[in-house]
Amino acid sequence: MGRITRRVATDVGGTFTDLVCFETDQDTGASRIVTAKSDTTPPDFEKGVLDVLERGGIDPSGVDFLAHGTTVVINALTERKGVKVGLVTTEGFRDTLEIARGNRPDFFNLHYEKPVPFVPRHLRAELPGRMTYTGAERTPLDLSGLPAILDAFRAEGIEAVAISFLHSYANTAHEEAAMTEVQRLWPDVSVVASHQITREWREYERTNTAVLSAYVQPVAARYLRRLDDGLASRGFGGRPYIMQSNCGIDSLDATSRTPITMVESGPASGFWGAAELGRLIGEPNVLALDIGGTTAKCSLIENGEVRIMTDYWIERSRKSAGYPIMVPVVDLVEIGNGGGSIAWVDDFGKLHVGPQSAGALPGPAAYGKGGTEATTTDANLWLGRINREYFCGGAIEADMDAVERSIRSLGAKLDVGPDQAAEGIIRIANNNMVNALKLVSLNRGFDTRDFTLLAFGGGGAMHAVALGQELQVRKVVVPAAASVFSAWGMMMSDLRRDQFVTHLVELVDGAGDKIESTFAEAEAKALATFAEEGVGADRISFLRYSKFRYQNQEHTTEVLLPEGEITDARLDRITEDFHKTYEREYTYRLDAPVEMVGIHLVAKAEVGKLEMRPEPLGSSDAADAVKGRRVVDYALEGRHEATIFDGEALRAGMAFKGPAIVEDSGATAVIHPGNAVEVDSYRNIHVTIHG
Amino acid sequence: MKKENDPITLEIIQNSLQAAADEMFAAMRKTAMSSIIYEVLDMGTGITDAEGRIASSGAGIPAFVGVLDKSVQTLLRKFDKPGDIQPGDVFITNDPYHGGVTHLNDLVLAMPVFAGHDLIAWTANIAHNSDVGGMAPGSLSGEATEIFQEGLRLPGVKLVTGGETDEAVMDIITVNSRMPDFLLGDVWAAIASVRIGARRLEDLAAKYGVATFNAAMKSFAAFGEATARAELGKLPKGTFELSEEQDDGRVFNVKVTISDDAFIVDLRDNPDQDPGPTNTSRDGTVVCAQMVFKSLTDPDTPANDGSFRPLKVLTREGSVFHAREPSAIGFYFETEVRVYDLIWRCLAPHVPERLPAGHFSSICGTFVGGIHPDTGRQYTIIEPQLGGWGAWEGRDGNPCIFSGFHGETYNTPAEISESRNGLFVDRMELNTEPGGEGKFTGGRGLRLEYRIRTNDGFLTAGYTRSRVKPWALEGGLEGSGNYVEVLKTDGSREVYSFVSGLPVNTDDVIRIVTASGGGYGDPKERDAARVREDVRNGLLSAERAAAIYGVTI
Repeated sequence: MGRITRRVATDVGGTFTDLVCFETDQDTGASRIVTAKSDTTPPDFEKGVLDVLERGGIDPSGVDFLAHGTTVVINALTERKGVKVGLVTTEGFRDTLEIARGNRPDFFNLHYEKPVPFVPRHLRAELPGRMTYTGAERTPLDLSGLPAILDAFRAEGIEAVAISFLHSYANTAHEEAAMTEVQRLWPDVSVVASHQITREWREYERTNTAVLSAYVQPVAARYLRRLDDGLASRGFGGRPYIMQSNCGIDSLDATSRTPITMVESGPASGFWGAAELGRLIGEPNVLALDIGGTTAKCSLIENGEVRIMTDYWIERSRKSAGYPIMVPVVDLVEIGNGGGSIAWVDDFGKLHVGPQSAGALPGPAAYGKGGTEATTTDANLWLGRINREYFCGGAIEADMDAVERSIRSLGAKLDVGPDQAAEGIIRIANNNMVNALKLVSLNRGFDTRDFTLLAFGGGGAMHAVALGQELQVRKVVVPAAASVFSAWGMMMSDLRRDQFVTHLVELVDGAGDKIESTFAEAEAKALATFAEEGVGADRISFLRYSKFRYQNQEHTTEVLLPEGEITDARLDRITEDFHKTYEREYTYRLDAPVEMVGIHLVAKAEVGKLEMRPEPLGSSDAADAVKGRRVVDYALEGRHEATIFDGEALRAGMAFKGPAIVEDSGATAVIHPGNAVEVDSYRNIHVTIHG
Repeated sequence: MKKENDPITLEIIQNSLQAAADEMFAAMRKTAMSSIIYEVLDMGTGITDAEGRIASSGAGIPAFVGVLDKSVQTLLRKFDKPGDIQPGDVFITNDPYHGGVTHLNDLVLAMPVFAGHDLIAWTANIAHNSDVGGMAPGSLSGEATEIFQEGLRLPGVKLVTGGETDEAVMDIITVNSRMPDFLLGDVWAAIASVRIGARRLEDLAAKYGVATFNAAMKSFAAFGEATARAELGKLPKGTFELSEEQDDGRVFNVKVTISDDAFIVDLRDNPDQDPGPTNTSRDGTVVCAQMVFKSLTDPDTPANDGSFRPLKVLTREGSVFHAREPSAIGFYFETEVRVYDLIWRCLAPHVPERLPAGHFSSICGTFVGGIHPDTGRQYTIIEPQLGGWGAWEGRDGNPCIFSGFHGETYNTPAEISESRNGLFVDRMELNTEPGGEGKFTGGRGLRLEYRIRTNDGFLTAGYTRSRVKPWALEGGLEGSGNYVEVLKTDGSREVYSFVSGLPVNTDDVIRIVTASGGGYGDPKERDAARVREDVRNGLLSAERAAAIYGVTI
């Protein structure tokens, strides 16, 4: 036996902390996967991570690479468990945080309640000094009032200071000066300036981002430090990498400075996994769908690249304006439709599914923990789609009496029998998910027929084929070990940093130099930061995107620029790429001047990424994996006797036809009549709709 | 498909209609050229059935939800011969006397949707365009006395025939605008939006069949009507009346009669139409009554034709709420917001669980233009303002949100305004003037200062609720007033609520001040801790805390 490389991913979720470990024999390429689960341990989340390593029998001293994902930031925000923040901002703008953008999404509701700012008015202080939108200094910064402001903050028990000045995206000097002075006057306080997180315009969004970052910074930094210390004390020789919202990982030190970048890291690893798996199996265009217990999330991957954007909001809905966070986040749509989503009938006899969820307690009626309302999981059980004898991998005995009661009671409200009620739940849930998938695909001008639907998470494979049929995708792929796919994605991630910089440039003669120098500056900054962390320039690659619009427009369209230096000679090609991208999304193009509004630079470095080795394809005979037959209700296609396959017994090369069910301990794939299934050399399941 | 008109299929089609209306909205927002469309979102999208009854509406502003059906119905009356309406056609109207409902700046585009030869639906949108010609930049002038002075009138014409754009019409539209590039970009954004919606609807009809598609539209409306009637049953019955004096001394009257099956708004007893541009069309008045009715009966679900069936609106032609052609109508919105607020105020004491105290209740339409000092190009700001909202039992009013007329509408960030318009935003903060005190206080209005950077610019503004302040409930105090000030370099100060084409020059400061909302309940009953918090937050002076609230700091 040769040298073993161990890569570990740990993921702190709301209920459980998960671990996946890939052990690869460097000589033979043979690999082994270890998974483990332990309870999440608030408020000392790092304890759960150390617990799960122990439970998985992993000796930290033998681990080569450790990636870590955590919900500590989003939890601190949504549960309001951050620290008391003071804001220092430009004179005349202390109320920006409270004025926000003034929108009323719930517009017929005259009792609408505007979100309350995270910093009350008396903790929002002003300093004189102005930059212009071009980055020129209009009025020098006057720091003479700062000591008194900080004294007041100290007296109020402030633990973190956020600094946000007008036009700091164009010139950071005032924010940098104020930050240095705060650190000098009050070395112990946590401080963050808006330009450290984003160089894009819109002062409310940027200020709120700085404030929320300050709000979680001490909490997250404390957590990361304890995790680091805990791992080191158990013998881990490296430093953990932390999963980010932009589908990359970043160093622990960088993350500690602006931890707000972790805010949406949960879904990001799964979507990155989808992009990587797509590349591996030759499917670069992927619609990725992650169905968990309370929500379904989807994202589109084009040519192997995830789309990263900075218009991210928390707590935003049709009922609330929410709070913007201007950090790079994978472009995703999330809806309140998961396995635990509750089906209900409104006052007018209409059936709805979600967004309320039965959660872990009481959970679906089938858990037998007192849940009386039918959930998507209960409907799947009732219809035979989930094996009632093998519920949750056999860990829970399905309480079918409770399931029946919940579904009959729902049916009574709809005046239909239990089968029809359960089918209704599945159809409504599927429709909600189809609409979400359309938002990331058809709505942006992408034709779903060019895409492969890749479904993961506990519930992805259960609904994927029905959704794929509706969207007419090329095929549906269910990855091997779909329930721990997110952790796999984390191990496939690169060190990645996305910089967004607002810089308005008209595409006329001379623009090439201006654009090139904006990128060059951003690249130099990225190289310098990586160098400080010991990552050499030879390991770093860049992707250059720019945001363009027709003159006078506001919203921009992002275009990937060709490799190499940008010169005036190449502007025509770049402009044409913009016209094409624009036309695809909006159906027309204009003969109008084009301008660049800003850049989006991606800097990536590979750090110990997992290499997958294919197995040879064996016989197509899948008889060895068959574990039985049962009647399954496919909703639209009715009831059929389906062959049941053991997902863990499937081998590369096996093939079979629907109606079928593939089940393993973590997930169930529903294969409809007429589908053809093949198992590829990584044991992923490929479903062709019309086999 | 094994089932056709089962409730689940109908529900799925209805969800998809909503998704299509939202998609139309998103497409238009992202491609528009005028900031009033893409930032302020002074726009709306909707889907109607073949007869022009609203089936689904996108996000945007509530005042536009009830507009599109009236436009499509007017088109159907005009184009009533076989072959008049063909696949690929797109119609355009902006004239309130020909289905435009609002004013000439608002271009309505509508596209018929076909399944084979059958007209099955319409997709439509409306958006405020920056300039459609007329006597003043931005097309809105307080001096207008006839609609002819307010821009190019498009009385419901074909802009696209069978997929081919009518270049002649397009030329006429653009040549009449002072900002032809913006107009062209905005019209194309609108065309893209109706086309995207039409494509989705065609797919739906193809997938489920026309009969099922139509059944879904019908059942959606039936659902809207059932919801409205059920909620109507819960409202207090009787006749409620209100007379309210306006800033200019006129008195507006309303009589609302609520019975088990009808909600009648009688506005016949009101002043004759105005010689100026502050009149509204009858359709516009109906939209206002619909908004209040919707907020009272079912604020939670999107509106459709059925939502409004129990509502009847009575107006008198030739009155301010039912202008006669060719009356000027450019500033219709200030009159609409008045009649909207009038109905709301009339019912607020009787339905406190749905209606808070009065809000700043004005569009506070503000128009500033001039030359951008850095680009040399003309800039024009056209924007409604944020303001304070009224309190209700248990909660202080919201500070700085858009009026009841606007909804999913966004203000313009100072950073973007300085770049786009070449002026300085000196301050953008809460208005802390006294007003709106109560057991629960009115939300704060806005104080926004624009410092002009070039000579020969102009200011036009039209604010109501300036002299007659936002009304309070249950013993609270009324809010403050809306106004605009110009601070000249010589130290002089001019205050306006209505001003048209006022010259402004370098270093003049335009200070926009919007009202705080009305208070709710006796101030003496306000929790002392909250009074102290108000003082600490600089929203209330210590003297006033003692005088109004009886709380010593």
